[in-house]
Amino acid sequence: MDYQLDTESYWNRSSRAAFSFDDEDEVDLSPELVSNGILADDTISEASFDNSATLNLSIKSLLSEEALKLVLQEQALDDRVLPKGVSPEEELKMLRRQLQSTLYSPNLEATAQKLMQGKPAPLEMFKSLHEKQQLLDTVLAQGGHAVIAVLLFLKRTLHTQQFHGILRERPKALEQYLSYLRESGDLSSHIDLLQRFGRHQEAALKQFEAALSCKDANTKKNQLQRLVEAYATAGVGIIPLYEQIFHSALNMEKLLEKENGLRKTLGERPTPIEVLYACCQANNNWKEQDMSKPLSPQRFAADQQISPAQYEWTALNERAQAQAYADLECIFERVPSWHPLKSKQFHISFDLALAVIRLYELQAPSTVLQLFLSKMGNSVEKLALAQRVKCIKAVIDAMAGLKQQQELQQLKDTLPDRSEEQFYCENALKSLQSKRWTTDNIKLKL
Amino acid sequence: MDITLEKKLQGFQLVAQEKLQAILCSIPGKKELILEPALIKPLEHVCTASWLKLKGIQRIYKHDAAQSMPRAADQVHIYMIRSFLATFTTLLQQLQPLALAEMPDISMKMYHIVCVPSCYSYFQTLLEQMGLWGLVQLHHYNWDFIYFDQGVLSLELPNLYESVYLQGNTSPLPPVAQSLRLLQMVCGHPSVVLSYGHHSAQLVEMIQALGKLPDPTNSAEYGAWLIIDRDKDYPASLLTPAIYAGLLLEVFQQRSGEILVDNSKNKISTQRVELLQGRSQMKGSAQSPKPCSIRLNSTADEIYGDNRYKHFAQVSSLIRAQVKALGLELQKLNDMQLEEMHDYVARKLPKLTELKSKVLRHLNASEIVIKMMGNFRKLQTLEEDILNNVSRKKLLGEIDELLTTDGQRFNTLRLLCLLHHCVGVAPEELQMFARNYCNLVGHQELSVFQRLGQAGLLPPLLPEKKAPTKLLSNLPLPKFQQTEFQANANRLRLLTSFGDGQDGGGSSKNQASNTQSCPSFVFNGTYIPLAAQLCSILLKSSNADEVSSKLTMIEGLTVHLDSGKTSPKAYATQLKTTNCTHQDVFPLKLRNLFIFIVGGASYAEIAACDFVAKLTGAQITVASDSLMAGSDFIAAAFNN
Repeated sequence: MDYQLDTESYWNRSSRAAFSFDDEDEVDLSPELVSNGILADDTISEASFDNSATLNLSIKSLLSEEALKLVLQEQALDDRVLPKGVSPEEELKMLRRQLQSTLYSPNLEATAQKLMQGKPAPLEMFKSLHEKQQLLDTVLAQGGHAVIAVLLFLKRTLHTQQFHGILRERPKALEQYLSYLRESGDLSSHIDLLQRFGRHQEAALKQFEAALSCKDANTKKNQLQRLVEAYATAGVGIIPLYEQIFHSALNMEKLLEKENGLRKTLGERPTPIEVLYACCQANNNWKEQDMSKPLSPQRFAADQQISPAQYEWTALNERAQAQAYADLECIFERVPSWHPLKSKQFHISFDLALAVIRLYELQAPSTVLQLFLSKMGNSVEKLALAQRVKCIKAVIDAMAGLKQQQELQQLKDTLPDRSEEQFYCENALKSLQSKRWTTDNIKLKL
Repeated sequence: MDITLEKKLQGFQLVAQEKLQAILCSIPGKKELILEPALIKPLEHVCTASWLKLKGIQRIYKHDAAQSMPRAADQVHIYMIRSFLATFTTLLQQLQPLALAEMPDISMKMYHIVCVPSCYSYFQTLLEQMGLWGLVQLHHYNWDFIYFDQGVLSLELPNLYESVYLQGNTSPLPPVAQSLRLLQMVCGHPSVVLSYGHHSAQLVEMIQALGKLPDPTNSAEYGAWLIIDRDKDYPASLLTPAIYAGLLLEVFQQRSGEILVDNSKNKISTQRVELLQGRSQMKGSAQSPKPCSIRLNSTADEIYGDNRYKHFAQVSSLIRAQVKALGLELQKLNDMQLEEMHDYVARKLPKLTELKSKVLRHLNASEIVIKMMGNFRKLQTLEEDILNNVSRKKLLGEIDELLTTDGQRFNTLRLLCLLHHCVGVAPEELQMFARNYCNLVGHQELSVFQRLGQAGLLPPLLPEKKAPTKLLSNLPLPKFQQTEFQANANRLRLLTSFGDGQDGGGSSKNQASNTQSCPSFVFNGTYIPLAAQLCSILLKSSNADEVSSKLTMIEGLTVHLDSGKTSPKAYATQLKTTNCTHQDVFPLKLRNLFIFIVGGASYAEIAACDFVAKLTGAQITVASDSLMAGSDFIAAAFNN
C-alpha cells in the first residue's frame, strides 16, 4: 500500500505518461487491436489527475482500519467463504445458522440487505406465495435493483397469471419491470405487458417506434398501415396527436415510395422538414404552385400539416441557399382569403428581423434585404437592423422615415462619389427637404 | 492530526484506489484491462495508467461493443463496464462464443467483468442463463465521490436521472446510498439530515438499512446534510444560467470535470437541424484547430477559478482585458537589453506563455458561447416572463418561433417544459407544439412527449373523451389555479423579480444593483435555486421553531435525526412540549453543509450555494450523481 504514494517524483513522472505505455511487446498485437488499444490513441488524456502528489494524505488518516475493512468487504461479491481462524464451535454455530436460513425460515431483512449490496442471495427458500409477496414488498419499500431481481425470481417461480396479479397490485413494481424489459430490448414482451395492463397508448407508441426503425421500406409501410388501422379501430380511445403523426408518417412513406428519385437525395429516416426542403429544391414554378402535384412544396406542407411558419422558413432557407432570390417574394405573397379578388399581399409568419438576419447570413444581395426591410413598420428598429446587415439603401429609407436630415447628410458624405447609393441618398434628402412644409411639420411648430 | 475538509474530500481518490486495488489484486494471472470508453475520463480521476501497470495490468484497451477481443491462452481479460443492462448483455453475448469454445477450466477464471458502480443482483441470474456461470466472474466497483473542484463532488453516474425520474426504475440508488455512507465514515455523522422528496427520503433509509458504521476516527465535519430530489427544483436546471461555469456547460460537452472546446461543433450546434443552419456556421468546420479542453478546477486553472461563478458578461470582458495585458507584457521583450532578456526568458517567459495559452483558451470558449447563445437577452426575458407567468399566449408564440427559426432539439423543448412546470401547459397547446416539433426532428421522436410527461415535465396526453365533456372544458373559463411550483416558490420566496410590466426598462438597472446581494444573480436576478435558499434557512435560523415556520406548508420535507424521522414542524413542537430546547440542533454547531442532489446538479445551484456560504461564513459542499446543463435533462428523454 505504500508504494503507490511513496515518492512525488513517481507521480509527476507517471502523470505525463498516462495511458501510453511503452510496451516492449507491442509487436505481437494484431493491427486491428492496435487501433483498438488505448496506447495507439493519442486523443486520450491530455490532462491527468494526480491529486495525490499534492494531497500528501494517507488512507489511514481518512478511514480507520476497521472502516476500510468494512468497505472492502462490502465490495466483495462473494462472502460465502468462511473466515479463517475461527474456533470449531463457532464454525459449527455459523454453519448451523446458515443452514437454518437456507432451508427453513428465510430471513427477509438479511436477504433484502444482501440484494441491495448486489451480493448473491439465495431466493429459492421463499416458497409460499405469502413469503414471495412479503419479499417483494420489502424490497419495494427499500427501492433499488433488488426489485428487479425479486421480480425475475417471481416470474420464474410463479404461474404467469399469478405473476401478473402481483404486478397489477403494485404499480411501482410494474414500472420497474417495464423499465427492465425496455432496457433488455425485449420489445414484444414489453408491448404485450403494456397492453395487458391497459396502457394501450404506450403500446401503440412502442409499435410505432418499432415500425419506423424497420430498414426495409416495404415492411415499414405495411407495419405503419397496420398500426394506423389498428389504432383507429381498437376502441381504447384515441390521442389526436398520435393519430395525426401515425397518419403523416404513413403518408410520407407512401409518397417516398412513389417518388423514388426523391428518396435517393435524402438520408435514412428523413424528417418532414427535410423532405419539404428537397421538394423546394425540386420545385421550379414558384409563381403558381401546382397544388395537384403531391411534391409541390405548398401541397406537401398542407398534407403533412407543416405550419405556415415552418414552410416559409424552410423555403426561405432553401431558395436563399440556391440563390434564387426572385422566388422569395412568391413565398411570402398571400391572397387574402376573405377577398380573393384583391391583389396579393406580403405576409410573414415569424419575426421579419429573423428573416433579414438569416438572409444576410446567407449572403443575399442588398436589394433582397431592402425588400424585406421595407416591410418593417418601426423605423427605429429598421434603422438598427439595416445598419447591422449593412444594407445602405434601407438605412437611408429608415433615416428618411425618421426625418434624420443631418445623419443623412453625414452618410451621403461617406458614400463613394457617383455611386448608386449616393444618388439614392440625395433623392431621399431632396424629398425630405421638399416636404418641409407639410402639415404635420407645421403642427409641430405650433 | 487535523486534515481540512477539502483534503478529506480529495481523499476519496485514495479510497477509490484502495477499492480498485483490492479487485485487481484478487485476480491472478497476466491481466489485460478492457475499458468501456465512457469510463476512461472518470477513471483518470482515480488513478493513472502507470498505477494500473503497477497493479499488474499489462495492457489497456477500449471496449468495442461491435467487435470482440481475442484472448491469448495465458491472459486474463478484465472488462470494466457501466452497469447498464444493455451493455452487460451485449458483453455477455460477445463473450459467449469465446468462452465456450475454449476448454472450460473452472479453476482459473479467464474472464472478469467489473460493473461500475454496482453489479446488480440480477446480473448473476443473467450470467447463469447465458451459460457463462463459472467462466466469467463478476465484480462491482464504485469510485464514490470524485472531487471536481473546490466544493463540487460528482459520482459520475450519467444515467441516474433517466432511470429514476423518467422510467421509475430505482436501480441506481443503492450505490449512491453506499457512497453517502462512505462519506459518513470519512466526514462523520451529521447532527441532522434534511431530505426533500421521495427518492431523497429513500436514500436516507437505505443508508440506515446498510448497517451500522464503525466509530469514526475523525471529528464530524458537517453540521447538516441536505438531500434534494431533482424534481423538487426543476427551474434551477431548466433556466439558462447567467454565470460563466454554467454557460460553459450549456455550450460545451462535459466529460468528468472538463469541457471540450471544439470550434467546429458543440452542444448547441449539434442540436440544430443542419439544413436550416446559416451558411456561415457550416463553413467554420473546414479549418478549425484541434479541440482543446478546459478543466473545471480552480487549482488547475486559475482563470477558471477566478471567474467560475461570476456573471458571464463580466467574465468575458475580464478575459479580454487579460489578453490585452498579456500582450503588452510580452511586447516588453522587444525593448529589453540582452542580459535582461536572458533573465526574462529563463524565469518569466515560461509562466507567461502558459498563462497566455490558458487565457486564450478561455477567450476562445467565451467567444463561442457568445456566438452560440445568440440573442441571450431575449431568452432571459422570455424565461423571466415564464417564471412570473406574464402573458401566456405570447410565451407559447415565442417558443414556437424559436422552434421554427432556431430549431434546437433540446433547448426549445426545455423551454416548453419550464413553461409547463411553472404555469402549466394545456394538452391542446402541447399538441400544437408536438406537431411542429415532430415535423422538424422526425416522427420517431413522438414518444419523447410521453416520457417527459411521465417525469411531470409535460402534461400527460389523454385519449379524447366524448363530445359533451370536451365542450365543457373548452369553455374559456378563467382559471385561477396556482401550480405547485408557484405555491412553493412563493412560500420559500424563490422568485426575486416580479413581472409587473412597469419595470420593463428599469429591470436591468435593478439587476445590476442586485447582482451581488442575492443568490439569484446566477439567473440574472430572477430566481433563487431551492438548494441555496434551504441552505441559508438552515444556516441563519437560531432554533427549530424558526426553521419550521420558514418551511411550513412545504410537503415532502423530512428531518432525519438519530432518534428517527419527523417533519420540521413536529420536531419543533416536540422540542417545545418536552421542554428540551437545549437539545435543539439549531443553530447548527458545525457551520458546514453537505448538499446532495438526486438526479444531477447544475452549476447555477452550486454557484448560488457558494454565494450563500460566503455570505454566512460557512462551507457548503455540493455533490450529485452528475453535473448537468438544462439540455442534458431533456436529452435524457431521447435515449432509446
